[in-house]
Amino acid sequence: MEIIILILSGILFATAIYNLLQKQLLRIVIGTALLSHGAHLFILTMGKLKTGQPPILTDGVSDYTDPLPQALILTSIVISFGVTSLLLVLAYRTTQENKTDNMEQLRGKANE
Amino acid sequence: MSNLAVLPIILPLVAAIVLIFFNSKVNVSRTLTKVFSLIGLGLSGYIVWEVLKNGTIILETGDWVAPYGIVLVMDSLAAVLVMTTNVIAVACAFYAPSAGLGEKENYYFYPFFFFLITGVSGAFITGDLFNLFVFFEVLLMASYALIVLGGDKVQLRESLKYLLINLFSSMLFVTAVAFVYGAVGTVNMAQIAQRVQEADQQGILTTVGILLFFVFATKAALFPLYYWLPKSYVVPNPVISALFGALLTKVGIYSIFRVFTLIFVHRVDLTHEVFIWFAGLSMVFGIIGALSTSNIKLIIAYNIIPAIGFILLGIGVMNETAISGSVYYLVHDMIIKSALFLLVGVIAYVAGTSDLKKMGGLIHTYPLLGWLLFIAAFVLAGIPPFSGFIGKLLLLQGAFEGEHIIIILIGLLTSLLILYSVAKIFIHAFWGDKDAMGPIEKKSTKGMVAPIVFLLALSVIMGVGAEYFYPIADSIAAYLMDPQIYIDSVLKE
Amino acid sequence: MIFAVLIPLLVACFIPTLSKAKNKIHTGIFTFFVPFFIFLYFIRFVGKDFTPIRQTYNWIPSLGINLDFYLDGLSLLFVLLISGIGSLVVLYSIFYLDKQERLGHFYVYLLLFMTAMFGVVLSDNVFVLYTFWELTSISSFLLIGYWHFKERSRYGALKSMLITIFGGLSMFGGFILLSVITGTTSIQEMISQTDVILSSDYLPLILALILLGAFTKSAQFPFHIWLPDAMEAPTPVSAYLHSATMVKAGIFLIARFSPIFSGYEGFFITVSLVGIVTLCWGSYMAVRQTDLKAILAFSTISQLGMIMAMLGFGTTAAVFAAVFHILNHATFKGSLFMIAGIIDHETGTRDIRKLGGLFTLLPISATLAIFGTFSMAGVPFPFLNGFYSKELFFEATLDLESASLLTELIPYLAILGSIFTFVYSMYFFFGVFTGPKKLNQLPKKPHEAPVGMLLSPIILVLGVILIGLFPNMVNAPFIQHAAEAVNSNAEYHKIGFWHGWDFTPLHMSLIVVALGIVLFLTRKKWSGVYKVLPGKLSFNRVYDGLVNKLDTYSAGITNSYMTGSLKLYMSLILATMIIVTTGFMLLTDGFTISSNNLADITIIEVSIVIIMVVAAIATIFTKHNMAALLILGVVGYGVALLFVIYRAPDIALTQFVVETITVALFILCFYHLPKLRKTDDSSGSKTLNAVLAIGFGAMMTLIGISAYSTNWFDSISDYFLKTSYKLGGGDNVVNVILVDMRGLDTLFEIAVLGIAALAIFSLIKLKKNKGAE
Repeated sequence: MEIIILILSGILFATAIYNLLQKQLLRIVIGTALLSHGAHLFILTMGKLKTGQPPILTDGVSDYTDPLPQALILTSIVISFGVTSLLLVLAYRTTQENKTDNMEQLRGKANE
Repeated sequence: MSNLAVLPIILPLVAAIVLIFFNSKVNVSRTLTKVFSLIGLGLSGYIVWEVLKNGTIILETGDWVAPYGIVLVMDSLAAVLVMTTNVIAVACAFYAPSAGLGEKENYYFYPFFFFLITGVSGAFITGDLFNLFVFFEVLLMASYALIVLGGDKVQLRESLKYLLINLFSSMLFVTAVAFVYGAVGTVNMAQIAQRVQEADQQGILTTVGILLFFVFATKAALFPLYYWLPKSYVVPNPVISALFGALLTKVGIYSIFRVFTLIFVHRVDLTHEVFIWFAGLSMVFGIIGALSTSNIKLIIAYNIIPAIGFILLGIGVMNETAISGSVYYLVHDMIIKSALFLLVGVIAYVAGTSDLKKMGGLIHTYPLLGWLLFIAAFVLAGIPPFSGFIGKLLLLQGAFEGEHIIIILIGLLTSLLILYSVAKIFIHAFWGDKDAMGPIEKKSTKGMVAPIVFLLALSVIMGVGAEYFYPIADSIAAYLMDPQIYIDSVLKE
Repeated sequence: MIFAVLIPLLVACFIPTLSKAKNKIHTGIFTFFVPFFIFLYFIRFVGKDFTPIRQTYNWIPSLGINLDFYLDGLSLLFVLLISGIGSLVVLYSIFYLDKQERLGHFYVYLLLFMTAMFGVVLSDNVFVLYTFWELTSISSFLLIGYWHFKERSRYGALKSMLITIFGGLSMFGGFILLSVITGTTSIQEMISQTDVILSSDYLPLILALILLGAFTKSAQFPFHIWLPDAMEAPTPVSAYLHSATMVKAGIFLIARFSPIFSGYEGFFITVSLVGIVTLCWGSYMAVRQTDLKAILAFSTISQLGMIMAMLGFGTTAAVFAAVFHILNHATFKGSLFMIAGIIDHETGTRDIRKLGGLFTLLPISATLAIFGTFSMAGVPFPFLNGFYSKELFFEATLDLESASLLTELIPYLAILGSIFTFVYSMYFFFGVFTGPKKLNQLPKKPHEAPVGMLLSPIILVLGVILIGLFPNMVNAPFIQHAAEAVNSNAEYHKIGFWHGWDFTPLHMSLIVVALGIVLFLTRKKWSGVYKVLPGKLSFNRVYDGLVNKLDTYSAGITNSYMTGSLKLYMSLILATMIIVTTGFMLLTDGFTISSNNLADITIIEVSIVIIMVVAAIATIFTKHNMAALLILGVVGYGVALLFVIYRAPDIALTQFVVETITVALFILCFYHLPKLRKTDDSSGSKTLNAVLAIGFGAMMTLIGISAYSTNWFDSISDYFLKTSYKLGGGDNVVNVILVDMRGLDTLFEIAVLGIAALAIFSLIKLKKNKGAE
């Protein structure tokens, strides 16, 4: 199953990158969302899937899933959320100011 | 005493939070910023003294024993870099009030400034790979905030690209950390180093290392990953460019330093050999970029890239001489880059343009600026007796000891072209007829020159007084060449 | 000795203050005493029983960089030249430069140069020598650009700096190699390790690097091109830097390192060949010039070539002649530059086509010029020092150690170069002082220069005559010591005027004079030859081309990829990462897969995965905003579901919350952003995107599988499970990790959120305020 999830993460990365390589800003934003999903699944898988109970200590249970990746993912989710929010506002402001959402038209001149 | 290690992170954090509350009172903010930055400098100076005297300061946060909790490792390299960061913070803090920030000053400029210092210091001090990621995010988020501050068209456009590329590399960073965890079951750097050593860096480990290299190389703006850098460093206010130019890319190269002198040091023939190529290409393409433009800010921004190349060269060569050269060059470059960004900022301000083709004869009105730039050009190119020379000398000696001849020749040629790229500014902007730009009224540069003089004076002192600084760089190099010292000091085995 | 280096520097610091009084006292007067006293101090070392002196001051001992001064015959010769000519030049400049000029700057640069030059010739430490070497380039740059409002000055200054610093850096490279090979930074200690250096594999490289430094500084072919353009500097500077001293630094360097390299065939071939070619080319080109200073510039190039060639020969006779000529050249060329300056000053032009018949108007200058030019031409009169060194040169060309085509050719080339030397010397004198007067073409009415201005050239011409009459007066106490420093086998060499009719060098001299007269008289007839050679072959054009191309090509290269296109940047970044990382994976045999430790595959999980894959792929093709949102939601909630299945309740919860807020944000964002469109990419570009995307995804999966399959170590998580309750006081291990064990992460994660909130606030607010304005 781990391998399947790793493949899924890879596919999420691939679709994310395909979207990042588009011209339209909205697609790029979609790409970044997919990217973080892929990354989080990668982290999760590295802690081995489903070898035990949730890491909440209970009497009589000695087999738990790996808590560390979960903690890392939590931190990462929150940070991604912050970045994504800023990105969305920035994307909005950029399209407003520059009057286009086509990244290829946002190149700028050589000597600015 | 071990709490000393966390103070350089906490102090700017507190400063940032305090300053949020004084946001609307510009004068109070300015004064507090100066005070906090000076305290930071004093503190970091004391820490350097303490670390050099008594050795690495280890702080196990929350008293969780290493490698389980997050460890802060204030070793000599971290201490010196934290201090350099604070030096630049002081210069920028004193420059900022005259920098013409306008109403941006009211929009949390000073808190962002200190958040940036927090992130940078944290990245230097932490001994935990995932925590490094978190500090990267702190400094990146602060840099996003600073770069969009003001938000005109060009600025927004370039910030967006900057943010997207950095977001990509951040995601890659966490994934790479996950892979490291998957392979060696820990995120503590000392323990990773120990386990990679036990596993003799077999199997996937080298590949994961290279993945990390790319993450850091993107932040460090190495060839061929620096595309985001030049423009995005040019659009914000000079004081912000100076902070970025001095600190951001340097955190990236520092991380390469740390990871590839501590952890992935068992396949040097493969990994580090490749770094030398990256170093050489960074020098060549970086300087080509600097020669390609007549925008003085862009010239300096492109000059970041060859400098990073020089620092990477030392890591690639990986012997004590070269590493000490890298350390020296790293500190030198942080100082001179911030000085140059501030300087071209002033020049662009007094000239009313940053296009070299429209300038001329400024020396008649602003002789001091001219001579500062003149000296800065030689400092940057590594002409003796300034600071760049010592670093370059060590790097090239180290490269020859490692029998890397071609890179020496590339390095020498790059130095010439670096000098040319900055001398061009001096010749075209400062020399010439008095009224080459028509009648110009003299603008006040009050408050802007002193920080530049301060930074340049440091560069000169680091060159002429190398006898006092070189032994420190050398001891850092000796320390880095023996990763076991770091591992033992953290894991106490 | 350190004071010789430091005094000019110290005085330079006070010059700006002193020059404030410019309307009362000429700043040059203060300056004059500096080189003059240094000259007086060092002249006392001249004597038969002189022995080298060494003084060391620590600077950066841990890097082996020390102020290690070494005064031997060679450095003594140079120190006296620098201080002696320096005094005369400053004296001359007092009358040459008007008080209205920015004299403060001028003398600061000049003193800086003196410091640098004394440093170069006195340093025994290679890196200190290099430091001063670059300082000479820098002060020369400033002096050439002294009248920087002139375009030509700026051009000349940049050109000289680029070429000489290029040489300086390559010399620096050579020094680095030498210091690593020998383990010392002292030249004298390197000389004692000559055999180590000569047996090194890197010898050709070291030699090439050091020679590049010497050749560029001493304006040797084809690097000579900067010197004519350096003539934009005020004439005292040309006389001092670009004729008597700085350009001889390259000569000095070769002389210094001769004891090491002279045993190496490559040294002989390169230095002699470059020297002799420079001699011929310089003198040939000098005949063609019309600007007096340009004639002198090419003449300097050619004379330097001659000295260089002699050092290349390396025989005792050649070395002796070289050292002797360094002195002689300084005297006659210095005086000629000053006379050129006088002519410029008094007539307002240096164009030889506009000059003529000035003998009667400037009789003293003309008399001085006779001695200067005839000595330069090597006319066999016993009172001209130039003749002696020329004859010694001819003698040396006939007495070369190895036999090859080059050694056969050298005497003929020497004669050829000397003939042209004769021609331009005559041209200089007769063109200016004889023939018809063309007073109407002159901007000023000419008259003889003031005495003060004539003083310096008179002293130099007296030197020409005295050395000519009593050549052995300077020989034993002075020249001999210098020659010994270059070649330790040098024996005492008595200089004589007459060696009988049988003396081949005399025949050569006579041939030179005879053919020289013929060519001088017929020069209008054969001047067409310059259309063939150099014709279009111009090294200046190569330089200009290089510098321009450097700018245009770098702009071309940079603009070709720095297009501002995010897509291009990302593609290049991805391609690099894929190629290098996969390369490493293959190279280190990194891929591993193990079927141990794998969880079971269940239908539910696989179904979720399939749905997510379909959704993820669908994001690429969707053309509707709402559909895109929905699909993205599917992926997001799919991830959350997987978290639930894999026993991660905390993150599952967070993911649900965050996903929901994000969706809300997206709705806002979608509302404001233009609708999704079908991409208008070409199919080639689509394929490339797909290749990069799939390549990167696949690479990450493979690394992930390998990392997962690597099971050498236990995770540190077991510790967390064991101690969570005992030490952390919590059942929920993830929570304990977050708030306690890795509390620092969480603290700064909150900081990140805080900064983001502030950033968003200022991003929106600052806009609003702008709108209100």
